[in-house]
Amino acid sequence: MKSFNLRTLSPLLLALGLGLARAADTVKVGVLHSLSGTMAISETSLKDILLFTFDEVNKSGGVKVAGKNYMIEPVIVDPASNWPLFAEKAEELLVKDKVSVVFGCWTSVSRKSVLPVFERNNGLLFYPVQYEGEELSKNIFYTAEAVNQQAIPAVDYMLAEGKKKFYLLGSDYVYPRTTNKILKQYLKSKGIPDSDIEEIYTPFGHTDYQTIVASIKGFAAGGKSCVISTLNGDTNVPFFKEFANAGLTSENCPVVSFSISEDEFRGLPAKELAGHLGCWTYFMSLKTPENAKFVADFQTWLKAPKVTGIDYTVSGVDTKGRVTCSPMNLSRIGVHLWKQAVEKAGSFDVDKVREALIGQKFKGPAGEVTMQANHHLINNAFIGETLPTGQFKIIKTMKGVAGEPFSSKFLGTN
Amino acid sequence: MKGSLKRELWVVGIFALAGLVVLPLLNTLAPVGSALHVSTFTLSVYGKYLCYAVLAMGVNLLWGQTGILSLGQCLFFALGGYALGMHLMLLIGKLGQYHADIPDFMVFLEFPKRYPATGGLPSHWIPFRNLAFALGAVVIVPAAVAAAFGWLAFRSRIKGVYFSILSQALTYAATLLFFRNDFTFGGNNGLTDFKFLLGQDLNAPSTKRSLFIASVLLLLGTYALCRWLTSTKFGLIQRAIRDSENRVLFSGYATADFKLFIFVLAAIISGLGGALYVPQVGIINPSEMGPDKSLEAVVWCAVGGRGSLIGPILGAISCNALKSYATHAFAEQWPYFLGGLFIFVTLFLPEGLVGLPARFARLRRRLKPPSAPTP
Amino acid sequence: MHNDAKVGTYIFSFIGCQSCGPLRFLQPFPTPGPSRLRYAPGSLARTLFRFLRAAAFLAAFAGILARADAPARARLVRAILSEDVTEQVTLVRELTGTDDPLVVQGLAAWRSGSLFLYPGPDGAAGQPFLSDGSVDPAGKAGATRIADGEPVRDATGTAVRFSAGELTAADTSSKLRKAIKVVLDLRAVEDPEARVRRDAVVKLGQEQESEYLPHFEQRLSVETVPGIRRVLMEAIALTQLSEADPKVRLGAVRRLVEIRSISSLEPLRQLSRKLQGGNEGDLLRAIQAAVKEIEEYQARANLYGTAFRGLSLAAVLLVAALGLAITFGLMGVINMAHGEIIMIGAYTAYGVQNIFRDAFGATGTGFETYFLVALPASFATAGLVGLLLEQGIIRFLYRRPLESMLATWGVSLVLQQVFRHVFGAANVQVNSPHWLSGSFEVSDVLLAYNRLFVIGFAVFIVVLTWLLMTRTSLGLQIRAVMQNRAMASAVGVRTERVNMMTFAFGSGLAGMAGACLSQIGNVGPGLGQNYVVDCFMIVVLGGVGSLPGTVSASLGVGVTDQILQPWLGAVMGKITVLAAIILFLQWRPAGIFASRGRGLEG
Repeated sequence: MKSFNLRTLSPLLLALGLGLARAADTVKVGVLHSLSGTMAISETSLKDILLFTFDEVNKSGGVKVAGKNYMIEPVIVDPASNWPLFAEKAEELLVKDKVSVVFGCWTSVSRKSVLPVFERNNGLLFYPVQYEGEELSKNIFYTAEAVNQQAIPAVDYMLAEGKKKFYLLGSDYVYPRTTNKILKQYLKSKGIPDSDIEEIYTPFGHTDYQTIVASIKGFAAGGKSCVISTLNGDTNVPFFKEFANAGLTSENCPVVSFSISEDEFRGLPAKELAGHLGCWTYFMSLKTPENAKFVADFQTWLKAPKVTGIDYTVSGVDTKGRVTCSPMNLSRIGVHLWKQAVEKAGSFDVDKVREALIGQKFKGPAGEVTMQANHHLINNAFIGETLPTGQFKIIKTMKGVAGEPFSSKFLGTN
Repeated sequence: MKGSLKRELWVVGIFALAGLVVLPLLNTLAPVGSALHVSTFTLSVYGKYLCYAVLAMGVNLLWGQTGILSLGQCLFFALGGYALGMHLMLLIGKLGQYHADIPDFMVFLEFPKRYPATGGLPSHWIPFRNLAFALGAVVIVPAAVAAAFGWLAFRSRIKGVYFSILSQALTYAATLLFFRNDFTFGGNNGLTDFKFLLGQDLNAPSTKRSLFIASVLLLLGTYALCRWLTSTKFGLIQRAIRDSENRVLFSGYATADFKLFIFVLAAIISGLGGALYVPQVGIINPSEMGPDKSLEAVVWCAVGGRGSLIGPILGAISCNALKSYATHAFAEQWPYFLGGLFIFVTLFLPEGLVGLPARFARLRRRLKPPSAPTP
Repeated sequence: MHNDAKVGTYIFSFIGCQSCGPLRFLQPFPTPGPSRLRYAPGSLARTLFRFLRAAAFLAAFAGILARADAPARARLVRAILSEDVTEQVTLVRELTGTDDPLVVQGLAAWRSGSLFLYPGPDGAAGQPFLSDGSVDPAGKAGATRIADGEPVRDATGTAVRFSAGELTAADTSSKLRKAIKVVLDLRAVEDPEARVRRDAVVKLGQEQESEYLPHFEQRLSVETVPGIRRVLMEAIALTQLSEADPKVRLGAVRRLVEIRSISSLEPLRQLSRKLQGGNEGDLLRAIQAAVKEIEEYQARANLYGTAFRGLSLAAVLLVAALGLAITFGLMGVINMAHGEIIMIGAYTAYGVQNIFRDAFGATGTGFETYFLVALPASFATAGLVGLLLEQGIIRFLYRRPLESMLATWGVSLVLQQVFRHVFGAANVQVNSPHWLSGSFEVSDVLLAYNRLFVIGFAVFIVVLTWLLMTRTSLGLQIRAVMQNRAMASAVGVRTERVNMMTFAFGSGLAGMAGACLSQIGNVGPGLGQNYVVDCFMIVVLGGVGSLPGTVSASLGVGVTDQILQPWLGAVMGKITVLAAIILFLQWRPAGIFASRGRGLEG
């Protein structure tokens, strides 16, 4: 009954609000996030926030081009954490569904897999998750944090806190290895000798952190040590349980994690993590009016998930205990930047939109962001301390950090 | 028996005609937008399925024909893929992100510092500049790995489920090894962003079409080889091993040698499939050799009907086509369909899809008698 | 009402707190969904209040001994209200040595972000306050002023009550937090709780600041707990290492060797580097000898540590694989859904945890016992699922064991997606009960409670399984059916029922494994996938159908893995273990304990 009411009322309201009822104009937009397989754990939330944002845009009248209001119509596919399937689905979205833009990917390998597809078909992809950089495609816009917007500020903070020994711990794949390689260079430039940097990797899905925690305990025995963790989401639980049980705390050896956001926190044992640090360009606990509205709107949306303005049934949205986090915020910002650029360009044409995107600004929940010519954002970066509530207490803010994908540029090596 | 073979050859003939003539023609000649047009995208997706079908033929040669269940067949598929992928990587030339002579990942992982003598290219990469060498490696590398592993396993008479789990351990270990950046094959990101093959632009429709036709040819060749094998005495022994290895052994045949030969052959077939797969999907990375992928290939075989020769082909194409369709049309529910299908097939269609006609025939026969007497 | 600019160090954000009177009422901020309110912040607020109440009791107790220190309180209030970090740090430093419990509590609260400001009348400074720990049914607590320990009152004179989850605390900076920490640590050296004293001493000892020496020495003269006496001596010796007098240093080095202080290794090495080429040859030689001796001790401790870690990994593998040893080993069902059955057990533990939390709150004995209920509950749930699986699918496939693999693989796909849809794709939070967190040390070998529990649990279920198999009639029937189904059937064993029971028992064991693993790792839809490959490997390596085989295989793999890891790293270690398994099976092609099971030789 309730949903009936909503469904019948919303177009009416929309028509009233706009003064013109042109429900027929829609623009197709692709959502390319794994909903099954190993990456579903992280990517499902991004699918949800994208639907929320489409609803948000449609409610405010959709995308306005040449006097017409286009409602966003999502096309959701499931690449199933399978990298070749990512390429296939991306091409299907571009060629068969003829979507104007795609929002998607989490892992670097999935992005690498679809990159040639987007270049070949001149598509447009927005990528929202912190990554190792070293890439720049004319067809991809990276709202994601580059290394110099996340890892470098975090290490700077640790240096300022007087830490002298760094234990770089990561899952064994490209993002941690590249980030750590950059960090090592950076630490060396700050006068930390190689002997005080330990670099350790564990396989994907590793569940046994006894030996590593024992070695961290030995490493931290002399004090002034910290752990820089690039472990991926899933392996953080066994690591932190082991870490806490060994008597290590944020007091005697703080851990800065780059892959734990509020969303991952939902599955982590809160008390084991309290006091450890995170570094992102957005935290749910930010106190800005934009963020308060974003968080509140998302919670309201979760009660009755829908996409206004089009005939579309939203399914599979987990409504319990939901939070917002940086990748979710950056996903949403991507949609808004794209919308603004389309409106500025007055066309959905990829080449025109790409041109219009450069310099596009959006006042987001974490302050204003600007899209640079290098397809990365100028964004504020924050260091947060984890609280037992699963939130972060912001302890340091760095304003206007310009994202730079190539480490040789921000490290000044070449 | 003869009748079914005839029917099978008809099916294969139609398949060959469709794959080699009709689809490519519809792709080139039918105007874009018309109902008859087959897009290059569709063609390359089907090319991918065909490569999977080749892999499934490899699995079937072992499991269906010889009774050896390998849960590591994707290792050989991926090795073949990597071998050609390395060649494709070196053909990118200066078109990468860094406009360097070596692949991008080597630049940002500072290979020039590790391998200064060769400008950053590890020495085992150098011969892959040559296509002939790469193609040789496509065959030799999987064959060599299979020969070494098979020799160890069959010599000490590791059988049945022990062999299966062991092959799974092998492919799992290889996945972990390839994940490492230090292993010089691009780590988790693997090899990607290929540009050229044989001087042709890899993204051009004509190249895609040629690759599709090559996949059809490879599949037909594999089919012909397997069909020929089954008609020889060798094929007879092969099936005898499947049905009772001990009796064959006691009859004086060195079953280990036969099994090793089949294992190596299946690895080569899988490797060739992988080599054609890589330029069509545009990426090869370690997750392609993960234990779950090999298991999936076994499932295709079973769904299509193991033991028969077109069963695996049918299974691989239909499972993947269904997956492609369902991940788009039912993005959130498709695992239910696919999982349900596997359960259904095992319980009710033990012979797989190829058993369907026979099953219908039986059903018709059962329904007929009561209706026959009525005038 | 009040002036933000004057008191820049606080923000209030109350939600739905109508009785807050003059407190600022801000936009609802992090508005969680309804269920989140019920699960997380509610219980967390309760935890916080319980903690604070306990702290208040302790403080009251200490208050009998220590008098209120009015100047210290005033100093603290000034520090909180000050906007100059340097002044704040100086003021905080001056608080060293105070015994006033309210000041100590206030400092701790300030540092951890649970000290709040009650805005004064326009233009006036605010009043710093703490929760007094008294929680009323509405979840609101009273406020205690730092200045005099009295309740905070509003303009009408009524005591203000507030709701903690919705407050934002007075700001601190990292410099300030460090200063507070030193003050608190120095006080913690005298803390009645042994663990707190110990942590404080270790931390301060590492600073090697001679100004802390008197504190250590004073404490040492009254300390009775041997473990803390040891760390006190260690801290004193460490601090003395940085003294100028070579004699003092030499004595310190001797004492560090005596107590075999591993944490002194790094400072000793540094010192020895510094002394290289200097003219203090005796000291240098003593240090070098000390380093050598402590290193030898450390190597021994590492050896024992590795043994324990290997044992504990073996226990984890065994617990996870035992169910499979029954369903696959004995019955010959290649159960690819084994991992998902483990996952069901883990989610059951999660469900039981939530029920207990709703019933008893997130702390206290009630909640602590949830795990004891979770174990049998997960056995029952997983056993039931196993039973349904057997009845619905597997019993049709006993003659086609390889195809059971296919069907169960389908089941595993479906189960994963079901859990993804029911519980969400993200991992769920399972908190360990208190008695399963933490660890204790025996001569520098760390023994974690959850690890010890898993080892004990592994022994328990192996014994249980063994008893079931050898001492019960069901066990007898199981063995009879597995050895010769036709004969067993002929003598009147109801083979179908036995199959059903066996599979349900194996699945139940897997479920308990899930509950156990929820204490060590993550609980999510992909949980099973992390273990299933290893499980099959263990069962096959041990010899299909042999329980002793499964036990010895997990021991072998666990210990080997832990021995290799420090040398080769986790990744290469794992690869080497896999290679070793492949080679081992060359030698024993049917596993460690080759035995015959149904349907595997055909």
